[in-house]
Amino acid sequence: MTTETIPYIGFEEYSEHIPQTIPAAVQQATSRFVGGRAARVSELPHWEQLRQIASDIRLHTIDNMDIYLNRFVEKVQAAGGIVHWAATAEDARQIVLQIAKEHNVKLAVKAKSMATEEIELNHALQAAGIEALETDLGEYIIQLAGTGPSHIIVPAVHLKKEEIAALFSEKLHMNAPSDPIELARIAREKLREKFLSAEMGVSGANFLVAETGTMVMVTNEGNGRMCTSMPDLHVAVVGIDKIIPDWESLTVFLKLLARSATGQKLSTYTQFITGPRREEGEFGPKEFHLVLLDNGRSKIMKDPIGRQVFKCIRCGACENVCPVYKNVGGFAYGYFISGPIGAIFAPQMLGTQVARELPYASTLCGACADVCPVKIPIPTILRHLRRRVAQGDEVAGPSMPVPIRAMAGMASMALGWNWIYRFGTGILPFFMSVFKRGEWIPSAPYPLNRWTKARPLPPFNASFRNWWRAHSRVARENTK
Amino acid sequence: MSDPMHSSLTDIRQGIEGIRRALGRETQAPLTNPRPAVYPAYQAKTPAESTAAFLVEIGKLSGVGKNVTPASLPVDFSALVSENNIQKAVVWHSDWFTELGIENSLRSLGVELVSPNADKLEMAQCDLGITSADYLLPETGTLVLRSSAEKPRAVSLLPRMHLAIVRPEMLRADLHQVFAEAKDSHYLVFITGPSRTADIELTTTLGVHGPKNLFVWMMPQNGGSS
Repeated sequence: MTTETIPYIGFEEYSEHIPQTIPAAVQQATSRFVGGRAARVSELPHWEQLRQIASDIRLHTIDNMDIYLNRFVEKVQAAGGIVHWAATAEDARQIVLQIAKEHNVKLAVKAKSMATEEIELNHALQAAGIEALETDLGEYIIQLAGTGPSHIIVPAVHLKKEEIAALFSEKLHMNAPSDPIELARIAREKLREKFLSAEMGVSGANFLVAETGTMVMVTNEGNGRMCTSMPDLHVAVVGIDKIIPDWESLTVFLKLLARSATGQKLSTYTQFITGPRREEGEFGPKEFHLVLLDNGRSKIMKDPIGRQVFKCIRCGACENVCPVYKNVGGFAYGYFISGPIGAIFAPQMLGTQVARELPYASTLCGACADVCPVKIPIPTILRHLRRRVAQGDEVAGPSMPVPIRAMAGMASMALGWNWIYRFGTGILPFFMSVFKRGEWIPSAPYPLNRWTKARPLPPFNASFRNWWRAHSRVARENTK
Repeated sequence: MSDPMHSSLTDIRQGIEGIRRALGRETQAPLTNPRPAVYPAYQAKTPAESTAAFLVEIGKLSGVGKNVTPASLPVDFSALVSENNIQKAVVWHSDWFTELGIENSLRSLGVELVSPNADKLEMAQCDLGITSADYLLPETGTLVLRSSAEKPRAVSLLPRMHLAIVRPEMLRADLHQVFAEAKDSHYLVFITGPSRTADIELTTTLGVHGPKNLFVWMMPQNGGSS
């Protein structure tokens, strides 16, 4: 196992450099998805019951994850699939590379997958001389552009059709018109050749059904079907948190997923794959590999509050309603999953040192928890992670600067002991008089200057008790 | 050199063991409690209601759904072929389709037929893929297809248009019923409308990788069924 140095995620810095076009484009997408979701939800009178059941099943599955994983592995093997365990991202990359090399793969076609983003598989394949091609239209565009996704469902939404046309013209050596339908047709043609010639298809999965060893994959474009049925070799990389008990559970999640994500009743294509093909002429892979990805998930399982992040079914509904996300877009989060769910996922996966700003990238308004189809208590987990950031935990020391922590300590002392509080309020006006300029305090010393940078501070004149006493005396006199 | 298959089995065992320890569960303990009950299946409608609802959903998804009869098929095919400039087609092998004389109808219209087990490059040249379905979901307008050598999964994927000829008895009330009947299948695909994307400026575009057009023809109960 290699220890990788994970670059620090500077949310505050990134968000200061977001071009104005990004929030505008992101908000177009989010408002469309919010509207679509609301329309679908209103059609189902039992929506809230479905959410509660989904939440219960998810928690039950997390509590019994080892048992369901065991069952799943046995069933996949019985169906003729080959299962691998990747403890780390590096292990996962090595497993996929090994399989690719054994089959002399030159071109791999990829369906959109969060797990392969997580392990940065494309870089590893390309470094080994294997072309790794994203085939979801949005992912294909951002791969050509060399940028990251700005939205989980529509990753290239920040690019205008003119920009995409210029990109296609440059990278594909052609004269591409700036028309969405025409651009999609060009991508279809280019990618068709690749689907038909690739030696390996790589995908993720939306669910793993323990009952039968089935992986479930949901797509709209059909590229997922291409990747899993054209090449003779299919490798799926899937986080262990995707496990669900059985097909009855699946009915609940499928009813929730597309409605929450895009406002569809079901996505266009839902595939249920149990092992490789059985017959020669039916298409589908001759060999099927499934890489179960841990990569730090087992560590998170120890934390009963934090591990509720694994209830997530990656619909993106929380992003679409988040006031912070809507103003910065996906890039600012510096992680493959953004928005509120990214803010509770990244710090746990990468450590509360590296991603310590993300639990604070939220107003705790709770809109995310209200729309979450599996009822993840996102604000609770954010507060839990803020505490871990401030106090340190078993994987990372405290991340708050010493003066802030000292202040927080003093504040909790002052609020805990009455006499300290009263002593403090007694001497505060004397301290403040040093910084007072006229009626205001225009700039306070560090660390309070972060407040006064934005607005002046009114000086402290009297304790609330004194003010109340004087105020009620005035009020009494007025009513006489 | 260690056997890679063997080492990967050890890795799986150890990995799952690690999860068990992290959860603080007793060794090999059985499930702490049964899986919470799921929401019950939707109520079944009458066959006529389900059929109508199914075709309405197909329309909402930008598909084209209609009722046909064995007698109307030659005219329906003639219109389909001429309106969409169909020159090459691929058809699932099925007794029902043979009975309906689908391949003969197409040949008589001058359409070249490709075997459903043809090479993928050849099948990708087809204008039309014709399948039936194993189940239909009225609530979502979904076709559920299994996969076999006679009924390959590529027929509903590679050609630029997809036609599904179906019967009312394929309708099921809900996902529950479909899963109960089909969960032992090694491959299933749900098709809910033609291939679509909104990845460029949120403009809905059909047929990005899969078929651009989806036609669904509903054949009545007594329509040449064997």
